[in-house]
Amino acid sequence: MKLSEMRADTCGEVKELKGDKRFLSRITSIGLNEGASFQVVKNDRRLPVLIYVRETLLALNRKDSESIEVVEVKA
Amino acid sequence: MSTIALLGQPNSGKSTVFNQLTGSRQHVGNWPGKTVEKKEGSFTYNNTKYTLVDLPGSYGLSGNSDEEIVTEKFIKGGEADLVCVLVDASQLERSMYMLADFASMDVPAILILNMMDVAKGQGKEINDRLLSERLGIPVLPFTAAESKGYGKLRELIEQEIRTPHRLATAPDMGSGSEAEASSGKMVAEGGAKYAWISSLLEGVTNTRRTKYELSKFDKLMVRPVLGKVITIGIILVGFLAAMLIMSPFMGVAGMLPGLLGTPIANFLTGLNVHPWLVSVFSLIIPNTIYFCISMASFVFGVNVVFGFLEEIGFLARAAYQFDGALSRLGLQGKAVAPILMGMGCTIGGASGTRVMDSWGQKMLTMMVVWAVPCASIWSIIPVISGMFFPIWGTLLVCVGIIAYIFVLMFLVSKFFGKSLVPEDSKAGMIMELPPYHKAHWKYIFKEAWIKCFDMFKRALKTVTLVSVIFWAFSYSPSGNVESSLLYKVGTAIEPVTRFFGLGWQTFMAFISAAFAKEAVLGTLNAVFAGQSNVADVAFNASAGGVDTMALSTIMTQTISGAEALAFMFACTFSVPCLMALSTTYKESHSLKWTLKTAGFYVAAALVLSCIVYHIAALFMG
Repeated sequence: MKLSEMRADTCGEVKELKGDKRFLSRITSIGLNEGASFQVVKNDRRLPVLIYVRETLLALNRKDSESIEVVEVKA
Repeated sequence: MSTIALLGQPNSGKSTVFNQLTGSRQHVGNWPGKTVEKKEGSFTYNNTKYTLVDLPGSYGLSGNSDEEIVTEKFIKGGEADLVCVLVDASQLERSMYMLADFASMDVPAILILNMMDVAKGQGKEINDRLLSERLGIPVLPFTAAESKGYGKLRELIEQEIRTPHRLATAPDMGSGSEAEASSGKMVAEGGAKYAWISSLLEGVTNTRRTKYELSKFDKLMVRPVLGKVITIGIILVGFLAAMLIMSPFMGVAGMLPGLLGTPIANFLTGLNVHPWLVSVFSLIIPNTIYFCISMASFVFGVNVVFGFLEEIGFLARAAYQFDGALSRLGLQGKAVAPILMGMGCTIGGASGTRVMDSWGQKMLTMMVVWAVPCASIWSIIPVISGMFFPIWGTLLVCVGIIAYIFVLMFLVSKFFGKSLVPEDSKAGMIMELPPYHKAHWKYIFKEAWIKCFDMFKRALKTVTLVSVIFWAFSYSPSGNVESSLLYKVGTAIEPVTRFFGLGWQTFMAFISAAFAKEAVLGTLNAVFAGQSNVADVAFNASAGGVDTMALSTIMTQTISGAEALAFMFACTFSVPCLMALSTTYKESHSLKWTLKTAGFYVAAALVLSCIVYHIAALFMG
C-alpha cells in the first residue's frame, strides 16, 4: 500500500521508494530509506502526512507520500 | 591562515555556530557562477586568525542541487583545513547521514554533537568517547545557542589544525562502478549508510523511543482549520509584542527632530549659513536619523519575535499547516514565516526568506512578500479613504486591498515562478518538525541586534542620499510648491500619468510611497496644501505634522473619488519602500532580480491604478 493510505497511529516499513534521483536522495537523507520503520502520527487529506521515523517527526507532502510503497507492521 | 568549514543539515544549528564564532566579522556573497549564498567570516584565537566558511545547507552530498554541488566541490577541492560536521544530538541517527555522506572524502574533521540540551531534556545519554574512538576523530558535545561551550570549540579547532584527524571508518558501499549512479544503486547506498550509522551508534546512545505521542498543543496545531487559526492568532500576538519591543526606541528617536531641529537652525543661522544648508542640517538630517532608527527598531522587534517563534519550533508547525496553500504559488510551506512577517514589515519578511532551501525559492518568496501590505500601509489607507468615502466604503476599500493581495501573489508566481523555481527543481515538503525547545533569549536578542544595526547602517546611507535628492527636487525658493522642480516635472508628465488615473499630485505621492509609506501623507500635504516643502515632510516618519481635516478639504475639492481609489491601490501595491528594495538586493545578491522585482511592481501598480480608475469612474461619475 501507499504511505498516503495509512491510518494514524499505525506503524509501517518502507518497501519501495519511487521517483527521480533528486527525490530519492532527499527522502533518504532525511531518514526514510527502504527498510526504515516508522509510525504514522497524523494523516489528514488536507495536510501533509506526519510520520515519526528515526526519532524525527517528519512532514511529507501528500503527492510524495503516494510514491512511497509501505507495508503495515503490527506494533 | 587556516580555513575551517561548517557542514551540517538544515536545523543542525550551523548558522548559530557560524554567527557566534564570527560575530559581525562576516561577509555574505555568492559562490562564483552560482546563485548560492556564500557565508564567510573570521575569528581570532590565541593570536591566530581563522577563516570560517558556512557551507550551504543541504541534507547530503549527492550533488542533487546547486547547494550540494558547491559544498561537495569545496570539500573535495581540499580548500578547508578542517571540516566541522554538525549533527543534531536529539536526532542522532538521522542527522549522522551527513557524516556518512562526508565519510568518503578524506579530509581532517571533527564531529560536533549539537543540541545536547535538547537531547538531555529527552533523557538521552550519548557516549561521545566511544563514538570518537570508533570514528577516529574528536567528538564534541555542544549547545550552539549557549555561549559557554565556545571556548572548548576554539581550543579543539586550534588543536586539530596542529594535529589533524581523519575519519577511520566509512560506509561499505560495495564495489560499484564509478559510472553514473542508477536509482537502484542510490537506494542501496542509502541502506549502507544507515547500516554504518547503526553500527556506530550501537552502545553509544541509550534511549530510543518507538511510539510517538503528539503533545497536547501539537494535537491542536495539526488540525486543518484550528491549526491555521491558532497560527494566525499567535502571529498577531507576536506583532503586538514586536510593537511593544520597538516602542521605547521609537519614542526616544521621535523626540530627536524636535529637540535638535530648532537649536541647530538657530546656531547655523547665527553663523550666517545659507538657509538652504540650514534646512538640510536642522530638518533633513534629524528626520533621516529618526526615520532610520524607527526602521531599525521595527526590524529589531520583528526579528526578536520571529527568532523566538522559530527557535521554539513553532514556525515549523506553521509551515506544515500552510504548505498546501503555498505550493499553489510554487512555494514551500517554509515561506509562510516570511510572508507573515511581511504583514508587519516587508524588510523583516525579505530578510526572513533566508530560511528557504534554495536561491530560487528565496527570490520567489521575496517577490511574494512584496505583495503583502505592511503595517504602515494600514495606517494611511483608512485616513485617505475616510476623506472620500463613508465608513462602509472604507471597509470595502480594505476588503478590496486584501482580495487583491492574493491576485498579485498569483500574478507574481505566474510571471516568475517558472524561471525561479523550475519544475524539475521543485521539491514537495519534506520537512522535520523539531521538538519544542526552550528559547535561548540571549542568542535571539544578539541576532536581532546584529540585523537591526546592519539595517540602521544601510538605511542611513540610502535614506540620506535619497532624501537629499528628493529635497533638491522639491526645494522651492519661494516656499510655494509651483516653483519647485517637482511641480515642473510632475505637470509635464501629467498627460501620461493621467492615463493611469493619477494627476501630478497623486503621482508624486505614488513615487514617494515607493521610498517610504510613512511619507505618503506628508507628501500629499505638501503637494495639495502647498504650505510646506515636500522634503520637509516626506521623510518625517509620522503623520503628526499633517492636519488631516484641512488636507481632506483640499483633496476632496481637487481630485475625484475614482482618482483617490486608484491612488490608494497604486500606492499599496507599488515598491514597498526603499529599504525593502535594499534588503531584497542584500538577500538575493542579484541586482538583475532586484530591479526586475521593482520594475514589475511599479508596472503592475500603474496598470492596477489604470484599471481601478477607469472602472471606478464609470460608477462614480
